[in-house]
This record gives sequence, structure tokens and C-alpha cells, in this order.
Amino acid sequence: MVKQDLIEKSAVRNFEKSLGGGIKAGEIGVIASKKGLGKTSILVQLGIDKLLQGSSVVHVSFNQQADHVITWYEDIFNELAKKKNLDKPAEVKNELVRKRIVLNFNQDAVKTDQVIKTIRALAEGGSIPEAIIIDGFNFENADADSISGIKKFAKEMNLVVWYSANLDTAEKGLPSVLLPFADDLDIVLYLDPKADCISIKVLKEHQRTDYATDLKLDVKSLLIAEK
Amino acid sequence: MAYDISKMRNIGISAHIDSGKTTLSERILFYCNKIHAIHEVRGKDGVGAVMDNMELERERGITIQSASTQVNWKEYTINVIDTPGHVDFTVEVERSLRVLDGAILVLCSVGGVQSQSITVDRQLKRYHVPRIAFVNKCDRTGANPLKVRMQLREKLGLNAYMMQLPIGLEDKLEGVIDLVAMKAVYFEGEGGTEIRLAEIPAHLQSDAKKYREELLDAASMFSDELAEAYLEGTETEEMINAAIRKGTLSEQLVPVFLGSAYKNKGIQTLLDGVTKFLPNPTEVKNIALDLDKNEEQIVLTCDENAPTVALGFKLEDGKYGQLTYVRIYQGSLKKGDELYNTRARKRFKVGRLVRMNSSEMVDISEGVPGDIVALFGIDCASGDTFCGGGLNYAMSSMYVPEPVIDLAISPKDKKSADQMGKALNRFTKEDPTFRCYVDPESNQTIIQGMGELHLEVYVERMKREYHCEVETGKPQVAYREAITQRADFNYTHKKQTGGSGQYGRVAGFLEPIEADYEFVDSIKGGAIPNEYIPSCDKGFREAVKKGSLIGFPIVGVRATINDGQFHPVDSSDIAFQIAAIGGFREAYLKAKPAILEPIMKVSIEGPQEFQGNIFGLINQRRGIILSSTEDESFTRVDAEVPLSEMFGFSTILRSSTQGKAEYSMEFAKYGRVPNSVADTLIKEYEAKRKAEQK
Repeated sequence: MVKQDLIEKSAVRNFEKSLGGGIKAGEIGVIASKKGLGKTSILVQLGIDKLLQGSSVVHVSFNQQADHVITWYEDIFNELAKKKNLDKPAEVKNELVRKRIVLNFNQDAVKTDQVIKTIRALAEGGSIPEAIIIDGFNFENADADSISGIKKFAKEMNLVVWYSANLDTAEKGLPSVLLPFADDLDIVLYLDPKADCISIKVLKEHQRTDYATDLKLDVKSLLIAEK
Repeated sequence: MAYDISKMRNIGISAHIDSGKTTLSERILFYCNKIHAIHEVRGKDGVGAVMDNMELERERGITIQSASTQVNWKEYTINVIDTPGHVDFTVEVERSLRVLDGAILVLCSVGGVQSQSITVDRQLKRYHVPRIAFVNKCDRTGANPLKVRMQLREKLGLNAYMMQLPIGLEDKLEGVIDLVAMKAVYFEGEGGTEIRLAEIPAHLQSDAKKYREELLDAASMFSDELAEAYLEGTETEEMINAAIRKGTLSEQLVPVFLGSAYKNKGIQTLLDGVTKFLPNPTEVKNIALDLDKNEEQIVLTCDENAPTVALGFKLEDGKYGQLTYVRIYQGSLKKGDELYNTRARKRFKVGRLVRMNSSEMVDISEGVPGDIVALFGIDCASGDTFCGGGLNYAMSSMYVPEPVIDLAISPKDKKSADQMGKALNRFTKEDPTFRCYVDPESNQTIIQGMGELHLEVYVERMKREYHCEVETGKPQVAYREAITQRADFNYTHKKQTGGSGQYGRVAGFLEPIEADYEFVDSIKGGAIPNEYIPSCDKGFREAVKKGSLIGFPIVGVRATINDGQFHPVDSSDIAFQIAAIGGFREAYLKAKPAILEPIMKVSIEGPQEFQGNIFGLINQRRGIILSSTEDESFTRVDAEVPLSEMFGFSTILRSSTQGKAEYSMEFAKYGRVPNSVADTLIKEYEAKRKAEQK
């Protein structure tokens, strides 16, 4: 299989279709769940999908060292390449690495402003991102204007932004930690563990709320399952 | 001398450049009564510190080579191993780290934890070296040891606790408060040799109590006895020290000392700290690899009667002849012993055995386990393991990277020419990453190493130590060539006019592979007789030595032969070699060859405000930013940058960050040169060849 097929046949296509086209430039999506259900895995799959399409991706991590994030990308890429029997995987991987930048911030010390400043500095240096993935951000202690700040920045730079959000307990409707930022969030997904898979529920998708999808994660590989 | 191994310490002094490491080493020697006057590093008196025993280091004010010096402090014997502080010499640093049992991490009280401290600390962590910290230069304006302590925690993730508090700071630094004994310590008399204990000044009482409590809380984690006693208020100094020692040895606690080496404050208390909290040789687990058992790991015992295992970690060619510094891990080393060098597979006899002070040496007849001694006249390379009792061990072999930069050198006069060979021979033995060879075509001597500065230092050393002046060419990146697709060849070598003829035809194909070179014989039916198959292999091996794009070695190619032809009379070994070379060249250009260049993994660390400049510098150099890690004030950027773009980088980095950022780099991989750059390289190569032909 060549790269183009990998993009077209990617499970992410179905993922986007089920979410009314997914998120567009200037919009923010959030994947929320309890720990260990596959938030990072989905984020990395979305990141790889963008990278395969030739977009530059900035992966911001608040809770993992850069090396660990890079390992996540390696593992998921290798898994996908193996599954789809990709031609010249080493070459494709090299292309991806050139377009990906991992940023690691200290949660307690770094505010959203500094994240934006760093990405701006990257853009000025010539690495202009098209997608930003933010993993491990602590919504609970976040400043009130942090998400609206990102939203404004995303609009200005035409960025697609995906967050992950950690939840302690399952709640009905939009999780309370996300409520203060609800206006700025375009899509909110919830990972619901079932006996044989992890199903992806939509809590919010633009104007629509609370609907089930046929999207799920394979419990073993944590890859988005294909139809 | 009665020998008590529990009273022995092998320590290193690890530090950021300019944090005063050499001055500190010098003071340690002074207080241990080994030398009688105190010199400054960049001495106004021109004598210089004795640990930096190379003139070049003296001139640059940096320490390049490590020397081991033995001193006695109270009833303890301490081997001080001076480690180099510059990033480009990390092979040297790492080599000395292997022989250390503990380290003093020196920090500047003003500069605090800087990027190089992070590199150094990472190395200590990698080799599991327990450490105590010393905040030096407390006499400087802006000194703030407590801030440095916080940085040790935040930036290095060390569980750092104050052992002392300063009495006065900057130019008012008078002494320190010992938080275990709860006494004020003053250093008086000439050179601060007289120690006066006194009550803690009233205005510092409450601070002292606060930090002592903090220290005791932390120490209690390591000792139930102390925890209980502390609750009842019956803790003793011994209990506290034992608990801190336990924490330090397990690398879970880092006691912080402070003072000023320059002003002779706090050195004696630091030495006490070394003896109290750093391990003796029996408390460190050392592992060797058994070469007879497929490198199985063997734990060495620090026992006098066990068979000898020792590591030659440092060679020195001084006024006394060739010296090999040896750390004895197991057994003892006696004059007249026969030992086995497991790398060279050679036996040798131990001749003269000495113990070194940097400028003096003492003859000894025996070295004990855990000790560091020096041997005379042993032919070996640094990193060799010496074994007795029929053992065939190697101390864990260190990864030696391939050199990435070449420099042509030629002697300026006859005398230099004689000396050059001697110098190069010595350097290649000392440093596994430094190599040299004579280019058969240009007949020039080429030296190879890990970076610009690395080679510059050796050129300087030739001049100073061997009075050998050389002219240097432009540093040259070690490029490679590689094919990118499969291509066939079918080549006939024929010379049948007069005399004995030559005939051979070779057919097959080339294809890219991961490994450097492979040869596959799939000839069926004897199209090429068996006796000439090795000739083909030889021919291909010759062909890959020099690619036709820019004349660099070809890597990543598999040559398969599947057909051919021979002549009963005119075929020969050489005829098939030439045919194979011809076949290779024929297919090579069809196989879309590309130029590869060394790509370096570069880590740049500096204040957050310069992040934009750092990103810019990487982008200007065809670099890829892999990741960036930051906290409020500090940022580290990891990137991959082609080596050819890194020439002169240290100067540029310094000037664009006001000297506040630093970098380190190591070889990562070979990567393809972009077409535009490749075209330039090819044009340059052609021009050079034309010039040579004229």
C-alpha cells in the first residue's frame, strides 16, 4: 500500500465522517475520559493522519517527556504501517518526523500564553504548524481565558486543535471541568469502556449534543477500529 | 601503611565550566598538605594549578584531561579524579566517570544550575554515581546558595537538602553553619587553615532551625532509628549522618555544601562531607563482562585475594615516560605480577608501580582493591582491562562513536614531520574517537574526530607537547554515498593484445540495503568458476571505497552476481576484480546514487527568552526541531542538524544569546543531502579533480 492509500483508507476518515466532518481550521476538539483508556493514542493517530497529509503538527505535552511522546508516534506508526503493509515505511516515517515538533511544558509553571509564544516563535523560525495537539492539559486548574486564548490563536493561524482532558468520574452530559470553556469547544468526545471495546460517544459536536456513534477503539492496540 | 578499605574514597569533581572546579581541586590538595602554596588557575604568578598539567589547558583556563591524585584527609585516603568540564570532550568525561565511586557536583552560587550542569548530572545519573553538591563562589556578588538548591531540585530533579547555611554572603562571607552539629564554623588564619567553632549568630538561629528540621525530615526517610529518635528529641549526630549517608548512597538524597574555594571557605567541611557521605569502594557494585561466556555479567568483589581485575582508564605521556592510570576493581596489583590485557590478548609483567600526585610520584610495591595507581611502560590503549588468575573479563565496553569530521594536516618542517607520527600514535591510543590515516591518493595525513574543537585541541597539543607545527586544511565532513534503487550490470573486461591476456565477464545487480555492504553469489552452472568468486567480492569491495559522485565511500549496497563468463587461459584473479569494479561502476550511476551526510543530534539549552533565536538558528542550518522542553525560565531544544552546517556554531550561538545558551552534540545518523547541496558538492569535486589532473 502506498502513502496515499494509507490516508484514504485511514480509520480517521470514518472518524471525521461520524463527527460531521470533524474539526476544521480554527476549531477545538476535546477527547475526555478516565485515565488509561486511549486518549493519547487517539491524539497521536490524529497527529499521524495530519502528518501523512503533509501538514505540520505541533504536539504539546504537559505530562510526558518529549522522548515518550516520540515513542508513542513511533509505535503507532509502526503498527499502522504493519497493518496496512505500507511501502517504504522508513522513508515515509522520515517525512513525518520532519513535520512534527514535540513541545514539553512543565504544567505548574507554564501558562497557555507561553505555549502560544513558543508556537509563534516556531512559526517565525519557519515551522508553521497546521495542527496542534495538546495532551495532558489540566482543565481543572486552567485560567479562565486559557482556552479562549488558544481559540483566538487557532483562528488567527488557521489551526486545528485537539485536546485531551482527564476525568475522575463519569458524568452525565458535558463534564464539569469543561463547562467553563464549553463555548470555545467545537467537539467534545467521551471514551466509554465496554466489555470488548472502548466506544466513542459524542457529548458535543458543533450544534448537536449527546449522540452515540459506531466509533470505537480496539482494546488491545488502542487504534481506532475500522468499519 | 595499614590498609583499611572503608577509609578509601574515589571521587570526581564534576562541574560546569568556570564554576571553579580547578580552584577547588587545588584547595583540596592544599588542605591535604600535598602542595604548599596556593596558585590561581589563570595564575598571576604563572605557576598555575597542578591538576591542569597540560600547558594548553592552562592557557585556555579549562581542564581537558583527567588526572588522578591521591590525598590524605584525616584518616582517609582520597583519590581525586579531575574530570574535564567541556562538552566536546564527553568521551573523556565518561571514561573518568566509570572509575569514580562518588562525585562532588560543583555549582556556581551565582550562575546556579546551567545547561552543562545538566549534562554533567545526566552523566552521573547514567553511571549511578552518588553525589554531594558544593555551591562554590559564595563570595561573588549575587551569590544565592538557596536559589541554587531550588534549581537542583527543579532542574535536575535531585532531592537536595542544605547541610550548611552561609554566615554572610558575597564579600561578607565569614563561614558556614553546620546544620547537623548546629555550630558556626569559621575559617581563619592564612589560607583559612584554622577552623574555629562557635555558637550560631543570634540572627541566624531561626533559619538554622528551619533548615535543620527540613534536613532531618528528609534524612528520617532513610532511617527508622533516626525517625524515632527525632520524634523524642534524642537524635545524635551519628544517627543523622548515617541516615544522610544511606540516602546519598542510594542516590535518593543530595546533601548541599557551600563555600568559596577562592576565599578558602568551606573546603575542610566539604572534605568531611566526602568522607562522611560518599561511598567507599566496597559499597559500589561493579560489573565486568566475561568474554569467555558471551559477555555474561559478573559482579566483582572488592577482595584482596580474588584474581585481579583492573581498568586502564587513562594514558599519560609525561616527563616520566608512558604512564597508565589503573583502577583496581578486584584483587591486588603487585610489582612483578603477570597480567593479561583482554583487549589486546597479550600478557605483560607489572614493572614499576607508582601513585600519583599531579607533580610528584611515589613508588609503591602493591596496589589494593579499590585503589587507583599508575603503571609504567605498559603498552595498551585507554579503556583496556587487565586481568590476573586466568580471567578473561572486560569492564563494560563503552560505546565509541565513528568520527564525523576530517582534517588534513601536514608538518611545517622536517623536525615536525618526525614528531608528528609520535604525537598521533599517542593521541589515537588515548582517545578512541580520535583517528588518523594517510590518504593514499593525496598522500596527506588526515585526522578524524568528533568535532571542530576536538581536532583543534589535538593540533594545539602537537605544537605544545611535541613541538610539532602543522598546517591544517579546511575541516571536511565525512560524507558517504549510497544508491537509492536497484540497477543491473553486465561488464566484460578484456585485454587480449600481446603478452598474457586478461578476460572476465561479470553480470548481476546492485540494490540498496541497511547494512554497509553485502556480496551475494547466485551464479548457477559455473558461469564463473568458484576460484574467481572471491575475486569479484574483492573487486566490489574496492569499488565501494570511493564513489564516483564526490569520491567518498559507498555504504548500504548489496552486490549480487548471477552470470558471467571466463576464458580458460586469459582469466585471472585480477581480471575478475577489474571486471567487478567495472560492473559496479556501470550499475552505480543507473542506481541513482545519492550523497549522505552526518546528521548530529544537537541539544541547545538556554534562557527561555532566547527560544526564538534558537529556533531560528536551527532552521537556518537545515535543521529539524525534534522537541522543545521548557519551564518558566529555561528551555531546551533538541534538533537534528547536518554536521556541515555546524561549523563555527559555538561562536554564533554565543553571540545570538549573549553567551547564555550552550549546546552539545553527538552523531545521530547519516541522512540524504538535499539536491541543491549535492549539486554544489559534485561540482566542487569535479573542479578539484580537474585541478589535480593538470
